[in-house]
Amino acid sequence: MSARNDIFAAIRKARHDGAAPATIISEAQACSQAMKRTLPPLDTSDLVGLFTARVSAEKVGATVERVAGLTDLPAAVGRYIAANALNTDFALQPDPRLEQLSWDNLRPGAPLRRDTALAVGLALGGIAETGSLIFHSGAEAPTLYGFLPLHHLVALDAQSLMPKLEDYAAFASGLPVPRNVNLVTGASGTTDIEGVLARGAHGPGNLHIVIFN
Amino acid sequence: MSAPAGTFQERVDKALGNAQLKVALERTTGNARRKRAAAVEAWPDFVAARAAAAAIKDHSIDHMAYYLEMFERNALASGAQVHWARDPDEACRIVIDICKAANAKTVTRSKSMLGEEIGLPHALADAGIRRVETDLAEHIIQLAGETPSHIIWPAAHRTREDVAILFDQYHREKPTAHDVVSMVGSARKELREDFFAADVGISGANFLCADTGAICTITNEGNAELTTTPPRVHIVTAGIEKIVASTEHALQLTRLLVRSATGADLTQYTTFHCGPKRPGDLDGPDQFHIVLVDHGRTEMLTEMPEMLRCLRCGACLNHCVVYRAIGGHAYGGAYPGPMGSVLTPVFDGLEQTRDLPSACTLNGQCRQVCPVDIPLPTMLRHWREQSWRAGYEPKTLRAAIGLWAYFAARPRLYQLAQAVALPAMRLFAKGGWISSLPLASGWTAARDLPKPPGESFLTSIRKGGTP
Ligand code: SF4
Repeated sequence: MSARNDIFAAIRKARHDGAAPATIISEAQACSQAMKRTLPPLDTSDLVGLFTARVSAEKVGATVERVAGLTDLPAAVGRYIAANALNTDFALQPDPRLEQLSWDNLRPGAPLRRDTALAVGLALGGIAETGSLIFHSGAEAPTLYGFLPLHHLVALDAQSLMPKLEDYAAFASGLPVPRNVNLVTGASGTTDIEGVLARGAHGPGNLHIVIFN
Repeated sequence: MSAPAGTFQERVDKALGNAQLKVALERTTGNARRKRAAAVEAWPDFVAARAAAAAIKDHSIDHMAYYLEMFERNALASGAQVHWARDPDEACRIVIDICKAANAKTVTRSKSMLGEEIGLPHALADAGIRRVETDLAEHIIQLAGETPSHIIWPAAHRTREDVAILFDQYHREKPTAHDVVSMVGSARKELREDFFAADVGISGANFLCADTGAICTITNEGNAELTTTPPRVHIVTAGIEKIVASTEHALQLTRLLVRSATGADLTQYTTFHCGPKRPGDLDGPDQFHIVLVDHGRTEMLTEMPEMLRCLRCGACLNHCVVYRAIGGHAYGGAYPGPMGSVLTPVFDGLEQTRDLPSACTLNGQCRQVCPVDIPLPTMLRHWREQSWRAGYEPKTLRAAIGLWAYFAARPRLYQLAQAVALPAMRLFAKGGWISSLPLASGWTAARDLPKPPGESFLTSIRKGGTP
């Protein structure tokens, strides 16, 4: 017998699972609901405020600024470049909404490389509970833009914020499943030496989020 | 890479003779305990949440065949190739065959305890394939030629001073300084080229999501995505018990897993991987393989199903007085601490490993901190009983237990003996723990015994109080 058949035979021998799919589905939903009832209270009246507080807390360690609209992103990028003494050329995530912005004297055409200093991207959404950015990979959102640069600057639409992880799960279940879902919570880091947190392991050492309306 | 050698007693003696080890372990596990405690305090209903998390895992275990079939269907539809392995040899053979078919010279690997369990590092070495560990701790122990000593912090036995010596010796560009941040920067530089030179990237999985066919990895360094995205081939190795019904269940469990492991709300990178590169994608692997491994798990469905809930968070290690004294290598298996003492006899046989369940104070701390409420002490007792019944215990122990049985069968005599013994034991306790006890130095040299209550369970029940 094949390994697959052997394994399934062993599972079925241990668990005679005669439950109908409908029963299993409602049982699964009951499990999620039971977990939701235990969650700590979370005031979700101001999602931007909540997200900002989480993401700039020491354990997440990102920086945040708020601008009026996406058209203000180039100015925010210019300020970030100046503040961190970076080059004016940077890698831009190939999202048409970013590409059509007027970048003036900034140079967004740099290819993404293994030593890219700055990449600028656009998140699909954000989760306020944890201060996480959501990326779904695709032609307009290659995975590596979030992992190769030393600085990752991400634009986030205030309207795309959702309160909790469960809200993201519900949101995602209505979309095609992407190759990668990346929930990014702060700049990369490691506690591998004596449990002490050090920022900037293999991913970005700095995460800056620009929230627009 | 050298697996821990010698008998359990020899390994324990060696660990206890290493003063540096105790320093390293206390720094890492102490930090972990403090951070977990703060995270749990901010979740008032954490006890109920643990029960809910256990129910979520039990649900997928109860319907394991149903969900594994659903996972396989969805994974295949995404373009993934799904492989099944009964045991470690079969699993390694599948991985090596994929590597050979891809003509792989170099593989990068992001930390996977299942990979350690099945002996993948050895199998790759035997096949002549260069293996580059990309997780910082795994990189440290690869340089040191060691195996992991903790399931979350594989280099928990190494102080920062040790790491400085290793990096000075092996890195092409030496660290600019020996503080933690500079050394992390040095590892970043050292591994950068390897991420792109690799032909195959190998990862584990924290969850297999039945509803999408995606696998989920929970990491913090960014090395996992750099391991799985640039190479032509991504191979996932995972135990079949990682199956969960849905993305929602995976995320709900992640909340508890991460708090229990590091005290964070979420680690930096919660990533779902579903199939190979799609049309239009600028990055991603051409091939995506998932190797699903049984290795005793289908037996555990009957023998100890609760253990299949384990999220591999490491909290039971950090809170175990034995682990904190002897570290992970003394346990001799891939998984140390309380969870390892339950699992290793499943994988390596009880006769060879019966010392592990015996090296436990049964103080119950591990169960209290376990995010999925696994009754670890009960399971360790189960192994002790099995070992006893199978006649694996040495004669001296059998004689001692025979004596205990004599008293236990005579309640009045037992209580009298206890009335004398309890106050005597309390004399040796400091801060709730007994670290030395006459005539029991073999026990207390490595372990602290919890200070016994002022009176026995029976006495306090009789007085109408709670023990
Ligand atoms: S047994 Fe519980 S505490 Fe220990 S690693 Fe597994 S989930 Fe964590």
